Amino acid sequence: MYTLGIDIGSTACKCIILSDGKEIAGKGLYPLGTGTIGPKMVFESALKDAGLTREDIHTVLATGYGRFQFDGADSQKSEMTCHATGIHFLMPSARTIVDIGGQDIKALRLDAQGRLDNFVMNDKCAAGTGRFLDVMAGVLNVKTYELGPISDDAQSVVSISSTCTVFAESEVISLLSNNVRIPDLVAGIHASVAGRVAALVFRNGIVPDVTMSGGVALNHGMVRALSAELKTPITVHPLCQYAGALGAALIAYREATK
Amino acid sequence: MAEATPTPAPAKPKRPLPLSRQMVNAQTAKAYEDAWKAAEEGKPIGWSTAIFCQEICEVFDIPILYPENNCATLSARHIGDPYIAHAEGELAYPINICSYSRLNIGYADTLLKHPEQIPHEAPYLPRPTFLLLTNNSCTQLMKWYEQLSEMFDIPIFFMDTLFNYYEEEPKPHKIKYVRSQIENYIKNMEKFLGRKFDWEKFEEVQKISQENCRLFDEIVALNQRKPAPMSGFDLFNYMSCLVICRGKRSTTEIFKQLKKEVEEHIANNTSTFPAEEKYRVHWEGIACWPNLGYNLKTLKNYNVNAVMNGYVTAWDVLYNPGNMDEMAKAYQCSSTNSFSTPAIMDKRVASIKDYGCDGMLCHVNRSCKLMTFHIHVGREIVDEKAHVPVATFDGDQSDPRIFNEAQFETRLQGLVEIMKEKKEEEANG
Repeated sequence: MYTLGIDIGSTACKCIILSDGKEIAGKGLYPLGTGTIGPKMVFESALKDAGLTREDIHTVLATGYGRFQFDGADSQKSEMTCHATGIHFLMPSARTIVDIGGQDIKALRLDAQGRLDNFVMNDKCAAGTGRFLDVMAGVLNVKTYELGPISDDAQSVVSISSTCTVFAESEVISLLSNNVRIPDLVAGIHASVAGRVAALVFRNGIVPDVTMSGGVALNHGMVRALSAELKTPITVHPLCQYAGALGAALIAYREATK
Repeated sequence: MAEATPTPAPAKPKRPLPLSRQMVNAQTAKAYEDAWKAAEEGKPIGWSTAIFCQEICEVFDIPILYPENNCATLSARHIGDPYIAHAEGELAYPINICSYSRLNIGYADTLLKHPEQIPHEAPYLPRPTFLLLTNNSCTQLMKWYEQLSEMFDIPIFFMDTLFNYYEEEPKPHKIKYVRSQIENYIKNMEKFLGRKFDWEKFEEVQKISQENCRLFDEIVALNQRKPAPMSGFDLFNYMSCLVICRGKRSTTEIFKQLKKEVEEHIANNTSTFPAEEKYRVHWEGIACWPNLGYNLKTLKNYNVNAVMNGYVTAWDVLYNPGNMDEMAKAYQCSSTNSFSTPAIMDKRVASIKDYGCDGMLCHVNRSCKLMTFHIHVGREIVDEKAHVPVATFDGDQSDPRIFNEAQFETRLQGLVEIMKEKKEEEANG
């Protein structure tokens, strides 16, 4: 039986097709979020990757910001539950998950059985979110995914005092005009996000193992900064970006076989 | 050929309001009517903070209206925004201060400068001739009322209360401090009004006030039943009787009727909650008045009844009639805002257990720092002592710019999914 999980975020869509709730048969990623062609494109690309058609899929479950706008879904679940389920599948020992999304931050705590036990999310503010990183990458004229490798060359971590994305953008522009080294600046940007995120994680309580999910987890500079801020190691699975979609596909399988 | 006009869907018939709600509406309308009549006759009218000793003005038989309650009403009806915009724009008040104060100050300025724009009926406040102020629930009220006093050029009768940092109950010196102010307030009102205070009537009003508070407590406690006979949001409506007419017989009649209706729901196994109650949550914070309808609809869609909240009991001003020390103590601590976070959260934990709540839903209210900041630490206490999941959402008591529907639904859905898992686990042993 094939089940499909689609994670429709604010800036990207991810899709996973599972075979009998055990093996990944196909996956897709499209860098556009809800309200765009992203959901349709990622759905089709996952089917193509698996060599399947829509008729082969038993159940479709949507998660993410655009979960209620996707007509092709049989049901919807919150991204908190889906990320928790997906990460538990990938990394059974994980008890604390940090997901930095396009417009929100989630700190999830799992119980010993890997079920979502409690969660804390950011307030209505872009500080510390993926959007913050996107804006800063724009100012530096680099791609967001390039931030991690750039920060590897940092000799020091520049302090960015503004929390607000708009003010921090001005501050970064000002630092650039003072010829501050870009790798040091990127390390500072990561530290700024890490500080904001760590406050949330501490609020929810840290239980090891700690991991990150979502696309930002692929930014090793960000993982390094958050690990330093939390004073704890963070492990990241290569499929971290698909964790929400994977969780959705797993829950779809459980619902279908109930 | 003209295109056929689409036939609009027939309007969904509204369920008739229960008699108790009709009585609440009539009582509120009368309170405003009395105040407008007094204004037109040039008689005294007071504006008061929400938890003032209203018993005293009841004795003097002077109409009192409550700006905080008024702001809630204007916001729930979506007619408060122009006053907030006026306060922030022309009057230059910052967005960071309480939205009740912005709304009310914007309204007050409109009332002063353009009285012809204000209808002489509920929910519009007539111009006050004096102000009643106490800081037992909020300290920003003092600056707000200072502004009103200056704008209208009218006196403030102020009762200062003290925060209870490390104790569960106010210490004797605090009670003495508040009692002396109540007594002084009575003397000053006698001078201001040129009338003697009727101490016998005072005790009668105190008795009515106590009967009303006790009746309300009994009604609220009926929601401990599973499933609850009331939607928890109903409590927000009925609590207004204690806010604006705590010392009146009409409130007693409303509560007796309400109790009868609730007991009927229990006998018939029905509820005013408009869906099957699968989950029960404890609501923390003031209602998100501009989004009350959306909140209730979304809670209903997820079968979540917010059966109890930590706000409605703020008007539980309980004391023995005639005992001024007890009265002073009650006004010192009826709102949990005057206590430390651990003390507040211990009350919430007890309430979560008493009402059999599966989770806690907290309104991170941009306006009310006092009722919000403790949540971030408080959720750990609830997590540890009540063992229920906690979700927070952003909103505001009056400013519609803060709340976000998608955020509210996502967090509620996440909370429901955890509660569901826990329930299934319990059911499976």
